[in-house]
Amino acid sequence: MRNRLINFGLLMIVLLTSACGRGNTTEPVTFMVFGEPAELKAYQDLVDAFQKLSTDIAIELIHIPSQGDYRKRLTADLVGGAPADVVLINYRNFSGLALKNAFEPLGPYLEKSSEIKYEDFYALPMRAFSINDQVVCIPQNISSLVTYYNRDLFDVAGIPYPNDSWTWDDFISAAQALTLDTNQDGSIDQFGAGVEPDFIRVAPFIWQNGGKLSSERTLTLTDPLELEAVQWFVDWQVKYHIVPGAVEEKAESSESRFMNGRTAIYFNSRRLVPTLREITAFDWDVAPLPVGGSEFTILHSDAYCLTAASQHKEAAWTFIEFVNSVAGQTIIAQTGRTVPSLIQVAESDVFLDPKAKPEHSRVFIDVIPYILRLPQQANWSDIEEICNEELQRAFYGNATVTEAMQSAVSRALPLFTENE
Amino acid sequence: MLTPYLLGAALLVGVPALLSLVLAFIRYDGISAPLWVGWFNFRIVLANPVDLLFPISLYNTLYFIILAVPIRVLSALALALWLNRRGRGVGLYRAAVYLPTIIPDAAYALIWMWIFNPLYGPLNLILTALGLPAPGWLADAEFAKLVFVVMAAFQIGEGFVVLLAGLQNIPPEYYAAAAVDGGSTWQQFRYITLPLLAPWLLLLTLRDIILSSQNIFTANFIMTNGDPYYSTLFLPLLIYEEAFDRMHFGPGSAMTVLLGIVTAALIGFALSSVGNWGETDAD
Repeated sequence: MRNRLINFGLLMIVLLTSACGRGNTTEPVTFMVFGEPAELKAYQDLVDAFQKLSTDIAIELIHIPSQGDYRKRLTADLVGGAPADVVLINYRNFSGLALKNAFEPLGPYLEKSSEIKYEDFYALPMRAFSINDQVVCIPQNISSLVTYYNRDLFDVAGIPYPNDSWTWDDFISAAQALTLDTNQDGSIDQFGAGVEPDFIRVAPFIWQNGGKLSSERTLTLTDPLELEAVQWFVDWQVKYHIVPGAVEEKAESSESRFMNGRTAIYFNSRRLVPTLREITAFDWDVAPLPVGGSEFTILHSDAYCLTAASQHKEAAWTFIEFVNSVAGQTIIAQTGRTVPSLIQVAESDVFLDPKAKPEHSRVFIDVIPYILRLPQQANWSDIEEICNEELQRAFYGNATVTEAMQSAVSRALPLFTENE
Repeated sequence: MLTPYLLGAALLVGVPALLSLVLAFIRYDGISAPLWVGWFNFRIVLANPVDLLFPISLYNTLYFIILAVPIRVLSALALALWLNRRGRGVGLYRAAVYLPTIIPDAAYALIWMWIFNPLYGPLNLILTALGLPAPGWLADAEFAKLVFVVMAAFQIGEGFVVLLAGLQNIPPEYYAAAAVDGGSTWQQFRYITLPLLAPWLLLLTLRDIILSSQNIFTANFIMTNGDPYYSTLFLPLLIYEEAFDRMHFGPGSAMTVLLGIVTAALIGFALSSVGNWGETDAD
């Protein structure tokens, strides 16, 4: 009888202890991310590393491959009132949600943290994820638009590799020389360059040419300097034919052509590196963007946000603290996907190791002083979508640059004041 | 016995439809508190002076319905007439007609993306080999909408089966009597088959109008996402983008209500065009 009582007592202690702890075996902290399979593996490693350190907080990883689908899933979750506790978000989609108070501001958490400090991070992405000087989310990376190039194709053509003094004219000349109809059938087999004709691709060239993109209440794309830069970008297709036209792009994307060794230059952010590291057929490297009047490029950055609806804010913050620590950012940086936002990791061999491609990863660090970010505007993603459509219309020769940019400006105008 | 279906229809169709109707008069982004705005969402959708996405997508949707519905119904009828017989291989042909209907929408879209690939797709390779012009299809605003019509024209399995059943319901004595009276094949079709199939054809047409106004979403989302330059932006995609991408649930719901009204108008038009077809069932 006494043994039974002891056993019963022990059982009650065990049950009470497990109930009082933060034991989230039934209620894990949910962590939603986007990215390709290599990135998913990195996030899984990140979660595993965290679980080794903290056994009382369970993390459930939710992965949505495409960033477009991810955005829609996040929106639906927020509307349903049950978003993941920790979500990854791009700064171009951040403002609209942050201004609607979808995220718990992390500034106060950061101030109290003994693990990470504001000064540990590059200032630019921290500002991109702040509202009214209050840090809302903690940035994971500070990537930017750069030039990827196929070294083998440059070698065959006997053209010097792109470097930090490459001008717009140098780029056009090289891309023209690298655009080839190898079998003489009248269609291009190798393109000199490839690019997604999106607004975030042309924006740095507009800045380089002295443009601003927007003022407080409107886009400024009809400004002569901005029109000139857009025209130069559009000419890649309509005048020089150094990039695929609409039909060629629909048949096979520029990214795929670059991966298959049939495009010499490709413009993208650091996002591409994990996929490019799988290439064995040719050698490739990275260089800054060709330079117009100035050297500007554009910020690409994602951050970890704590959703305001989260029921596990303290546990979720502990996880965010870890993923933004040196250990956490190191795990993600090793995949090649990120340019770490933590200065210490970005300047370390984890990121700069010349044995891990690209050989000149330092390019991403060297361009940081020249990175500009897109405006923080509640409807920015909608504005950008309009600009994309109009830019593509001009890029594929279905409208003049002036017509397309005028249309973009007038269509975007109401969006600047919609939330007032 | 009908209770589970009625309950399901009420919960999964009736209630959401009612909520959509209410949302159409509310400003709601899913996060901030909802705000009653009356007809404002309809004014935004119908009378936006600079962004004409609703009229463009309405035009695209009507273009699709007006082309796809007759093609689908007539193709189903033609194939049902052709395959309403006994013989070797008929079963196989019937299965072949039905097959595209059971392919999941996403897979079906991917298959057609490959077929219509402007450089590497089999269709353009054949056209080029024949010395014919090879259009850019989904890359060309002039042809992109047509691709969706062509795709829809092959998913006629259900209509085909319904019409085949309808044909087999017609007593063979009618045809025998007509033959004795010297009725030609055309006359038999015109005066026996068509009148007796009319209710089935009407049912299929109405069903197809409703289906075509909604079911294009998956292919639209996967294959073009509205490109090039909104030429394939159909209403279901625009509604989805407006509500779940831009979080404009009010205008999104207003568009849904308008789509319902347009569909009802098309059904009304179809009904008034055929007079009393639907009521001449054989008895």
